[in-house]
Amino acid sequence: MSALSSNDTMVVRGVPMRRDSAREACFTVVHDATEMRLSNDSSELSRRELLHRDVNNETQSLEISAQSLVDFPDAPWELRLHLARQCWDEARHARLFYRRFVEMGGFKGEFPIANHEWSVVCMLDSLPARFAIQNRTFEAGSLDALRKGIDTFRVIGDERMADIMETVLADEILHVRFANSWIKRMVQEDPRAALKIAAAMAYLRRVNAALSPQPGEVDIEGRDYGSVDHSVRTNTQDRAYADFTDDEIGELRRNENWEPSAAATADREQ
Amino acid sequence: MELSVKQRGEIISTFRYVQVNLMETLAAWVPTTPEMEVKLLFGEHIWDVAQHADALGKRTYELRLPLQHSLRPSDVSIGLLERLAQAHQTGQRIAGFYDVVLPLQEAQFRRYLDRTDSLMDAPTVRILDRILEDEARMIRGSQELRWRLPDVRPCDGEWLAEVAELGRGIEEFFLRKSEKAMAEVG
Repeated sequence: MSALSSNDTMVVRGVPMRRDSAREACFTVVHDATEMRLSNDSSELSRRELLHRDVNNETQSLEISAQSLVDFPDAPWELRLHLARQCWDEARHARLFYRRFVEMGGFKGEFPIANHEWSVVCMLDSLPARFAIQNRTFEAGSLDALRKGIDTFRVIGDERMADIMETVLADEILHVRFANSWIKRMVQEDPRAALKIAAAMAYLRRVNAALSPQPGEVDIEGRDYGSVDHSVRTNTQDRAYADFTDDEIGELRRNENWEPSAAATADREQ
Repeated sequence: MELSVKQRGEIISTFRYVQVNLMETLAAWVPTTPEMEVKLLFGEHIWDVAQHADALGKRTYELRLPLQHSLRPSDVSIGLLERLAQAHQTGQRIAGFYDVVLPLQEAQFRRYLDRTDSLMDAPTVRILDRILEDEARMIRGSQELRWRLPDVRPCDGEWLAEVAELGRGIEEFFLRKSEKAMAEVG
């Protein structure tokens, strides 16, 4: 891919990130969790906010896959075909969440949005690095969050939302599995890919440290981030379907409060 | 005059090049198009176009060419594809893709179907029939979207006329002159 220019990037809390992808004027795009709404209950307003956030998350996933098709034209055709399929899957997910959001009386731009995943992943200049962060970290994290969401929505009687999430979860397993398989292959073919992945993980830790809400920081409505339990249990079964090894899953379970990225966790948490 | 195996291979490889190019154009537009519904439509159609490229690329292998072989089309065709890819406004993108390029492609596919022997070249015929069906669905999708969201309709008429004019100049099967001459000689 060609090198990013200063016009392509921005600095958020001291960390360089990719400038936001295009959004309609009705959206308020923010870069800081303190400018978002923290939805930590099952009220209708919080559920709408989560759906609004889900629509934007799926849109970002679409944008990331599409951008990778553009940035890596010499990638093997089989891999590009997977990326193209992922574009369709993410577009359908966004539509599914948006349909439910509108059914609940929501409207585009009702809540602030952040494009952290796009801004992190599209800073990375190799496919192994992008797969490691987008598919193997963010989307794998969503396997855990979606499982938690499905269970929560069934408990409160929102079967429709639980069904949507179950559908999305099935597709996300494919995306994570595909990345796991290609990462292994790419590292075998070129061990430098492992260095790219390590550098990407270090960059993610830096973003995470800078963007994670600090003690005492509050959301747009004054709620304290520190008062919320962000922990998500490892979705052992679906991670296994996605070809995580037993060792990898065991490691995750030992660090049950592991968070792939505070920003991404907050974005994807249900 | 019917098409030889070599000619069929060259034409299908050229069709594949165009499909891959259109996939990349749609992909480049996804992050840079502000309207969410349009972004999602392009995202869906990336997969359609990729599948078309894949099917054509498998067929090239059956026609004594490498698997997923692409052949660069004529300069006029490249000019049109580049002009399309440079479109900045959403209305231009939609009109250029769905009202100009897809119908142009349909005409090229139908011309091929008229020229080829439907029994000797049955696998290609099946592939093109399926692509034509998909493209009709894609065009309908764009029309429904424009009906629902009138704000994405406006398109600079001068730009569209220029793109349509480029399309009218495209050679048979998007081929470069040398390949076209071979196709004519048989």
